[in-house]
Amino acid sequence: MHGSHLRPVSNAKGFDMACGSTSLWAGEATWFCCGNAWGSCGSAGTGACGTCQSAKNMAAWPNLSAACWDITRPDLCGENMPRRTCGAVMNVRHQCSGATVCVTLADCGPRTKSFCGEAACCNGACRTNRVIDLTPSAFTAIGSLSSGKLPVYIYE
Amino acid sequence: MSHSQESGGRRLDRRRFLTTAAVGGATIVGASALGGLDAEAAFADPMPSLDAAIPSAFAEGRIVAMNRNVLDVAGSHGERHLIQLTNATSIWKLRTTTAESIEVGDGLYARGAAMPDGTIAADAVWVNIVNVYVTIRGIAKDRLHLTHGSDELVGHIVPDTTTASYLGGALTADLSRTRIGQEAQVLGAWRPADGAIDIARVSLGH
Repeated sequence: MHGSHLRPVSNAKGFDMACGSTSLWAGEATWFCCGNAWGSCGSAGTGACGTCQSAKNMAAWPNLSAACWDITRPDLCGENMPRRTCGAVMNVRHQCSGATVCVTLADCGPRTKSFCGEAACCNGACRTNRVIDLTPSAFTAIGSLSSGKLPVYIYE
Repeated sequence: MSHSQESGGRRLDRRRFLTTAAVGGATIVGASALGGLDAEAAFADPMPSLDAAIPSAFAEGRIVAMNRNVLDVAGSHGERHLIQLTNATSIWKLRTTTAESIEVGDGLYARGAAMPDGTIAADAVWVNIVNVYVTIRGIAKDRLHLTHGSDELVGHIVPDTTTASYLGGALTADLSRTRIGQEAQVLGAWRPADGAIDIARVSLGH
């Protein structure tokens, strides 16, 4: 997991995609549940792409579509990330530990506009604004669920 | 970030420790019982692939049986997991706790190492943890009434545990600034008995 580039994964259509090392964005990562689930997550569904599962390394991106953008509105927090659609893959790296996980986009989120200015910090350095939501599987690969948020760099 | 602890004058790798403990049939104790293990730091450890021969593993589901230090977990997609708790396993259930607080019927997410016998030696287990985007619909002294999508939820305020963060600010025990209609993120522990949530932290947005 650590320092791995171009690690192949299967995307939503079942063929291999590669997680790259080109810098895309940075900010705060949060987590969410999707797919069949227990507890308050039971009604979450499989996400905007219809493929999302908590036990797979997946993510939600605020600019998955125009309709998604209208909900998340990261631009209101100064974040104008590019459009990336269902099945796109990204490497998400913890800012301090360097732990990295390759994720496949499977949903729209997080609701960046609702938490403008929120920061996640480590070793005195912070990343602001929610820019990606990770499934529990992906989030635990680079940090602790009980922290709720992590400062990350995102590559593709 | 360190993935090891000092033990007997030499560095002891956490993953190596937990897999060794699993093979040796360690009894159930919380990570804090080890003394030298910082449970919070252990949760934050990302469990890197330190040894390619020991692949990492993740599991989620509900506990259907417990046998000493092994949790029998039914995954939400029909899979089955046997999760071994060891002396090195960090356990969260609303707060950092010990294995004695785990019950049949609880939900969990577990991170660990895949063992040759198909079990998972758990590095960290988060029991009943939920992290939901909600709207505040009602405020009482000891609880918040919430909506999550089309579902109604009760979020219990737990004395000496529940904290709030307003607009990204520092955590505080003061929940007096919550307002009906506010959007919020609630991280807490789900109660299987009634579906409510014990709130660990509520992050209030705009």
